[in-house]
Amino acid sequence: MPSAFLGVLVLNPASSLDSMLDSMLVLAATPATVAKAPIIAGDPLALLVPALPILGLILCTLCAIFRVKSKLPAFLTVACLAGAFVVTAKLFTGHDGGVSIASGFQWMTLSWGEEPGQRFIADFSLYLDSLTILWMLFVTGLATLIALYASEYMSHDVGLGYCRFFAAFNLFVFSMACLVMGDNLLLLFLGWEGVGLCSYLLIGYFYKKPSAVAAAKKAFIMNRIGDVGLILGVMLTFVHFGSIEYREIFAAAQPYIDLAKAGKFSEIPAIVQLIPILLAVGAFGKSAQLPLYVWLPDAMEGPTPVSALIHAATMVTAGVYLVARTYPLFLLSEYALPIVAWTGALTALVAATIGMAQFDIKRIMAYSTVSQLGYMFAGLGVLTSTGAAFHVVTHAFFKALLFLSCGAIMHGFAGQLDLRKLSGVGFMKGWGVVGLGMFVGCMNLAGFPFTAGYFSKDMILAEAFVTPGMAPIGWILLLTAGLTAYYTFRVFFRVVVGPMHYEPGDELHHAEEDSHGHDHHGASEADAAHAADAAHGHAHTHDDHAHHEHGHGAHFHPHAPGWAINTVLATLSVASIAAAGLYFVKSPYEGGMAHGGAVPGMVERSSAAFETPFSHHGVGESHETIKEGGHEGADGHAPAHAEGGAPSFVPTSIAKSQGEAAHAGSFLGWDPHKVMYYVSGVVGFVGIFIAFILHYAGRRTAATARADALLPAFGPLAGWAQNKWYVDELYDLVVRTPLWIVANIFHLFDKIVIDGLVRLVGGIPRFIGGMVRPTQSGELHGYAAGMAAGVAVLLFLVFMLTMR
Amino acid sequence: MLASLILIPLAVALAIVVLPAASARATALLGTLAAAAMTVVALVQFDWTQGAVMQFLASVPWLPSLGISLSFGADSVSMLLIALAALLGPICVLASWTAITERVKTYYAWLLILQAAMVGVFVARDLIFFYICFEFTLVPMYVLISLYGSTNRKRAATTFFLYTFTGSVIALAGLAYVAWFNSTLPFDQMTGVGGSWTFDISTLQTAASNHMNLAQQSMVLLALLCGFAVKVPLFPVHTWLPLAHTEAPTAGSVILAGVLLKLGTYGIFRFGIGYTPDAFVAFAPYIAVLCIIGILYGGLICWVQTDVKKLVAYSSVAHLGFCVLGLAALNHAGIQGSILYMINHGLSTGALFLLIGFMYERYHTRSMKEVGGLAAKMPVWATFMVFFVMASVGLPGLNGFVSEFLCMLGTFQASDSWSLGLWGSEKAATIGATRGNLGPWYAAVASTGVIIAAMYLLIMVGKVVFGPLKEPGGHDSHGSHGGSHGGSHGGSHGGSHGSNGHGAAAHGHSHLPADLTAREITALMPLAIACLVFGLYPTPLFQALKAPVNEAIAHVYPPPQLETPGTENQPGRNDPTGLIGSVGTAQEVSR
Repeated sequence: MPSAFLGVLVLNPASSLDSMLDSMLVLAATPATVAKAPIIAGDPLALLVPALPILGLILCTLCAIFRVKSKLPAFLTVACLAGAFVVTAKLFTGHDGGVSIASGFQWMTLSWGEEPGQRFIADFSLYLDSLTILWMLFVTGLATLIALYASEYMSHDVGLGYCRFFAAFNLFVFSMACLVMGDNLLLLFLGWEGVGLCSYLLIGYFYKKPSAVAAAKKAFIMNRIGDVGLILGVMLTFVHFGSIEYREIFAAAQPYIDLAKAGKFSEIPAIVQLIPILLAVGAFGKSAQLPLYVWLPDAMEGPTPVSALIHAATMVTAGVYLVARTYPLFLLSEYALPIVAWTGALTALVAATIGMAQFDIKRIMAYSTVSQLGYMFAGLGVLTSTGAAFHVVTHAFFKALLFLSCGAIMHGFAGQLDLRKLSGVGFMKGWGVVGLGMFVGCMNLAGFPFTAGYFSKDMILAEAFVTPGMAPIGWILLLTAGLTAYYTFRVFFRVVVGPMHYEPGDELHHAEEDSHGHDHHGASEADAAHAADAAHGHAHTHDDHAHHEHGHGAHFHPHAPGWAINTVLATLSVASIAAAGLYFVKSPYEGGMAHGGAVPGMVERSSAAFETPFSHHGVGESHETIKEGGHEGADGHAPAHAEGGAPSFVPTSIAKSQGEAAHAGSFLGWDPHKVMYYVSGVVGFVGIFIAFILHYAGRRTAATARADALLPAFGPLAGWAQNKWYVDELYDLVVRTPLWIVANIFHLFDKIVIDGLVRLVGGIPRFIGGMVRPTQSGELHGYAAGMAAGVAVLLFLVFMLTMR
Repeated sequence: MLASLILIPLAVALAIVVLPAASARATALLGTLAAAAMTVVALVQFDWTQGAVMQFLASVPWLPSLGISLSFGADSVSMLLIALAALLGPICVLASWTAITERVKTYYAWLLILQAAMVGVFVARDLIFFYICFEFTLVPMYVLISLYGSTNRKRAATTFFLYTFTGSVIALAGLAYVAWFNSTLPFDQMTGVGGSWTFDISTLQTAASNHMNLAQQSMVLLALLCGFAVKVPLFPVHTWLPLAHTEAPTAGSVILAGVLLKLGTYGIFRFGIGYTPDAFVAFAPYIAVLCIIGILYGGLICWVQTDVKKLVAYSSVAHLGFCVLGLAALNHAGIQGSILYMINHGLSTGALFLLIGFMYERYHTRSMKEVGGLAAKMPVWATFMVFFVMASVGLPGLNGFVSEFLCMLGTFQASDSWSLGLWGSEKAATIGATRGNLGPWYAAVASTGVIIAAMYLLIMVGKVVFGPLKEPGGHDSHGSHGGSHGGSHGGSHGGSHGSNGHGAAAHGHSHLPADLTAREITALMPLAIACLVFGLYPTPLFQALKAPVNEAIAHVYPPPQLETPGTENQPGRNDPTGLIGSVGTAQEVSR
């Protein structure tokens, strides 16, 4: 049995019965026979990727200590992150498609014996493969751009707050690098919680605002719930495989992969099948999937660059990364991928319905992020990790673009985000780039034909119909695609085009010596009082623009974005458009998949490939083969079916649940791969058209801008959607309140026990206390006497008892 | 060498008593620094490659007729805990610098005596010596709480004293029983066991673990747990802790959380596992259940606290639940995690108590209802607060995570049922599993404590550090922009401020600046650095602890091929030298 597969495309002739038996036999002796996978030393340059943001963090801290009151921290950050991006790009160009490990230092490494499984190794080493590099390319690239954007966006806070912001920003990129590049699950966990911390710090950036603090706390705690699942998964991985290093896990999992390929899930131990489910819990927490998604919309309390980088483009895709990275493990469980697929699809739908009913454009974008993340998970679940990863990349660009455009609007209109109070922004003087950015972003998000978002979404949709048993997911996603197009263009038609009209927001910049600008985010009424306060605040001068006076009504002039914001928006617009080209570019590596272009080409060379490393077929070819196997299994023709397993990767449950097995792999009788281009294009057009009718054609004057035409048609449903289906309230009722009551009972109990005990022994202390209170030497004597007496009595008792 | 670590603080305490009060705190600082320097020398001289071997052995006969001597020795576990105590010494003095203004001499003298007693516990190789030091830590702590605590200090001190005293007297009975049991054994040339009275810790360990039957061991273990569990404190006997912490002065809380609680876990490690290994294996699940209840119960109570200090105190109950849980796992990851936990908890919780103390000095309140949003006023303080809260929450990259994860991993692994084919493991060897009576369910339930920890600590941070600035009524609001609070308030505080902290009555204006002073930052920095270093590079600690932990595990689960007698202390209980038979004789004698 070839136990080492990574790094080399070694193959496994596991389809024949003989080798199956073979692997069964090996299985019994797995632990002892697993040879250490060969380590190919990676480019040590890779260590600079996490190191440069740390340098940035140190520099920002120094800036804070020396009270630097300029934009220096921002430019230091941009420099460090750009350096990290350049290094990543260099890694990319020098990468041959294999796996290598760049060793750092020992982090948590302990051993208690020489046998396998008696060494716990979690080193600070980096795992370099195409998936890692793909992820780091867009993480560092976007981080650099967004840091540049933030240098202008946060300029009202120059001083301590500015340093704090960029320090956390650097720490975030470092954590993300650990998460993505770590060569073991524990280093991933370090990054995982590290990004959680930065998210906490940055959501709560406007720390004087109770809603921001609450949102930050909520994000951290919700994430922790997922993290517990993840850490239990890590421990189970160690207990079972004896290692948490990816290359060791994948090597040790090889026998099971063979079993899974044969559909013999019943041969795979339950604990192995449990691992991916636990990991998925962690992924759902970080990527805001049902039921742990409620923190992400609240996270919009943070400054917009943070929302763009952390809560749209990078951190929230960590869950997708985790599943993709440990894809071989997910393939081992009958239920893991269906769970992932259904969770993703339902999240996509639910979030889209909520997004349709919101008025705050930033929150709409937040819900659309949740929804698009649902797409990615659904993509992973329907066996197109390549499509999911492609969607991650395209989404990162266009969603960052959308957020930053919204941020520019928010920045310019004193925190106004209500789509009923903004109109025709794109045609105002100086707002052209923002309008264009919104347009490009919306086109992508809506899946308008020939945009990047269209191609990536298409891959997932088509694959959902191809994969047996997953057609319902395909339909849900298709419906969601229509809803997405609608709500995206609802924003576009209301805010960007139409008659020019605006009401300024209720938050004004309000510079103080000591950081803490106010959030410009005027979403909730709760801020009104606070904002009124701010309105009386002094107008102030921006460091980098001409003087603007802020005030309500007639005095208010929106201030158009400056060069930094415009540059970044333009760059991202171009990048979002150009991302579509990735679909047509060939894989950067030899022998890439014909379908899907560069990004899938990279993914298929990594552990996220749902089969490449494990199969000796050409990629595209075997892709089809497996799918065929799925059909057969579902039809009951395959020999293995008699044993209760479908002879494919597709878990039995999927195959069985598919009633009309004949339809599996087709979309109403057509080949999904071909027809989906047209179908999703049409669905997108329909959504955009409805939005056009309701929000543009029927709205000619500012007066009608206040009405939202579609909402009343749905009766109470609209209200429920607007209130996020009351999920927060449900959590409160089901989890928080009972726990709170229990906590109070415990507290009361504790108090009673204390008081009771004190009262019980009250006589004795008063006696002793009376004896010892006067002087300190008295205390000593008193207690010494007491001690001696007590000892004597007890000793006597013991002796009596034991000697009998 | 080790004796000097005890003698230096004692001598300095004497000097403080003799010298005028004005120089007391400077003397104390110098003394603790000298002790710390001496500890550094010891740490350097210690042979870390032989971590399991007792080093710096020294012995002075005391009562030879009873076999009592003052004998010293330290292995790497002891050394690390001594280092923790030595590190906290100067920090405590710095923390008390302005807080203690009355009866200064008494205060610092007792603080140094406490220091000596703590070191004594960790270096003692004689049972009586150990016990005296163990008990004697109560007296200085009693004085510190009852004289320098806040409103409820008398009651807190008394509760604290009686609670722990009662417990440790029972523990003494257990230890005395072991000594007596040993004296009834026939003398064994090779191990030195039996024949006459001795209180040598190693000899008694051999005697107890090799010759006691399970019933006897269980009895001894229960007695020991009475003492040590109260000290830790484990779930049902924890109620003294919140009270004592709340009332104790800052330095008292730091020492209490930092080192005194660790006396309990140290005792369980040394004696619970060392003397009664078989009973410990049998009792491990029950101990673990208590730990887990403590983790959840303590955590949930934290959630409803309004007093910041009480919150951190209750969090200790939860945290030390993890610590003892690691011990109960009885495997490498668990015990290493547990010992590291002792140190890491001392660092992070000690620092939290310092920070709360600094806040209390400025606002004379610890209620989350009265103060809030201090980040606006004290950014440096807020930064440290968030940092140490994160260390306490167990954020990877900081020290808390390393130990908490290992404790949980140990618990997760430690299940014989892995090899019994449960959990679907009949089809797969669970190569990462170890022997033990716990298992994944224990770890899974305990891990929810991690969520609760995030909840209560972040709620605290959300209220005290973040949010709108809120200062207690009557507190001068100092102007809202940092800087420029020099001596303008200097004269305004009366003698009542600080030292005795007469609760709300003492709303004297603090003469301290709004944010932390250089002195306070100096006190915090070593802890912060240690948290970061131990979080990112704990490898040296792992290596230092590997040998003693391995030895402890071999002691509990002797490897089958252990036929080589003469491995210092424990030849293993399945000793083929016929000593097992002599247990029977011993029992006949005792009847």
